[in-house]
Amino acid sequence: MTPKTAAAAGRVLLEVKDLAQHFGGLKAVDQVNLTIHEGEIVSVIGPNGAGKTTFFNVLTGVYPGTRGQILFNGQELRGMAGHDIVAVGVARTFQNIRLFSHMTALENVMVGRHTRTSQFLLGPLLRTNNFKIEEKAVETIAKDLLEFVGLKSLGNELAKNLPYGAQRKLEIARALASEPKLLILDEPTAGMNPTESQDLVALVRKVRERGVTVLLIEHQMRVVMDISDRVFVFDYGVKIAEGKPKEVVANARVIEAYLGKEGAS
Amino acid sequence: MKALLRWRWTPWVALALAAAFPMFASVLDAQYLVRVGGIIGLFMLLGLGLNFTLGYAGLFDLGFIAFYAIGAYTTAIAMRAGVPAPLALGISVIVAVAFRALLGLTILRLRGDYLAVVTMGFGEIARLTINNLDSLTNGPKGLQLAPWRPLSFVSADPNTQYYLLILGAVALGCIASNRLEDSRVGRAWIAIREDEIAARLSGIPVRHYKLLAFTLSAAFAGLAGGLFAQWEQFVTPESFVFWESILVVSIVVLGGMGSIPGVLVGALVLVGFPPIMQWKLSSEWINYRYFFFGLILVLVTLFRPQGILPSSRREAELTS
Repeated sequence: MTPKTAAAAGRVLLEVKDLAQHFGGLKAVDQVNLTIHEGEIVSVIGPNGAGKTTFFNVLTGVYPGTRGQILFNGQELRGMAGHDIVAVGVARTFQNIRLFSHMTALENVMVGRHTRTSQFLLGPLLRTNNFKIEEKAVETIAKDLLEFVGLKSLGNELAKNLPYGAQRKLEIARALASEPKLLILDEPTAGMNPTESQDLVALVRKVRERGVTVLLIEHQMRVVMDISDRVFVFDYGVKIAEGKPKEVVANARVIEAYLGKEGAS
Repeated sequence: MKALLRWRWTPWVALALAAAFPMFASVLDAQYLVRVGGIIGLFMLLGLGLNFTLGYAGLFDLGFIAFYAIGAYTTAIAMRAGVPAPLALGISVIVAVAFRALLGLTILRLRGDYLAVVTMGFGEIARLTINNLDSLTNGPKGLQLAPWRPLSFVSADPNTQYYLLILGAVALGCIASNRLEDSRVGRAWIAIREDEIAARLSGIPVRHYKLLAFTLSAAFAGLAGGLFAQWEQFVTPESFVFWESILVVSIVVLGGMGSIPGVLVGALVLVGFPPIMQWKLSSEWINYRYFFFGLILVLVTLFRPQGILPSSRREAELTS
């Protein structure tokens, strides 16, 4: 598999050091250390309540984190506002789809361009030339992204009226509109049938081909085995294993986390 | 109906009809309606203003009339100090915006119902302050202004003059709203209304944009208040009671949140209905105006919860 060797050669993109997020006495995420290289597709797996989504929420600034460092291209993300994290190149999707329901699919993607555009009050009010140029460019890029995820013909539909699978893809298009270097997907195949999942796996590969590094939470083992260069396993807020997919599924601690002690023996 | 709304000349036809309205009114011997039209126009301005806060950014505000009051009193005080009328309007806008920005900086961390309650409190504080600050506002006795007659070359009737002036302001307000709505700024506001967390994690600095929408609202209220003061030549705290804030919120919700035509129609229905009823039927009908107001609200809520003219999104050309 060539991608793995390519990944191994990649520069370090994200380095998480001793990261923790506690809620009172609950250690939702604790002592997490991990590194992600440019061009990788990395999965995070673990039983329900293992702290995967909380970990993503700390990475993207939803939660402040209790301790530790998140270095993205050497820059500390912890303590940065969510919108600034997008600006430096980290975009995400959500476990429970969070689209702008009453905007069209195209507008959803156009919103994603926010950090890469600059027109403010006077441009739109006076319809200046610069405004028109930027607006045109935003629309073109948004249409291209819709085409990229395969939703171009649905551009004028309100997001809430799209079928489920299309909504997941639209979230990815919106995230890509901010030109991220790292794309974080929170259970992109949740609720999908095998065909739709396949489709999404193909899309994630295409995203990587654009030069975007992908970090995803995934529950469907078939998808994880198929797509990941490397896998991190979380349990009770702690990273208990990491490695290539095949190594990880053979790991005794991982089997124990999923199946209990007897399953491991 | 939909085709009529989409037709590109519809706004201009509506504007022309509205501008010609005083002539019709004088033929029908119903000059009273020109005055009603002017008042409707003031509430259209207020509705357009609140539409930024409530319609686009989705922030509930139950004290909006305070900024109408601030605009009215600023113009009154400025003109009594000898400031020319147009300049007084400008000062009203600036003062209303400044107060609004200060309020927004302190309370925009609140959400939903909490924000509504605090803005309601501010509305009452503003009214009580005006009522008691005798040295500046002359308290409940109110302030008298010297007359200002704009557009005297068009008509000799002050009501017609102010009607047309307000109509012009409404038209400009619609254009400004429409241009902002269909831009990066408007998309950011609507995204925040739809899902605040997703908006932030799509790169929108949510607090800045909320403050911007909140503050811009006051520009419209300040202008409307200034025009009101100049037209009436008299301001008292009684004009700015809590009920008026509710009325503006109802205009936006009933018309269709975030919809410019909706706001216009909302103001037309809610503000225009009682006086027209009074004009057409006996004057005793005015006693039932709140009954009809409630009835309209209930009917719209039941049959068109999205508003009379809900906002429709722009359609892009997808073939190419």
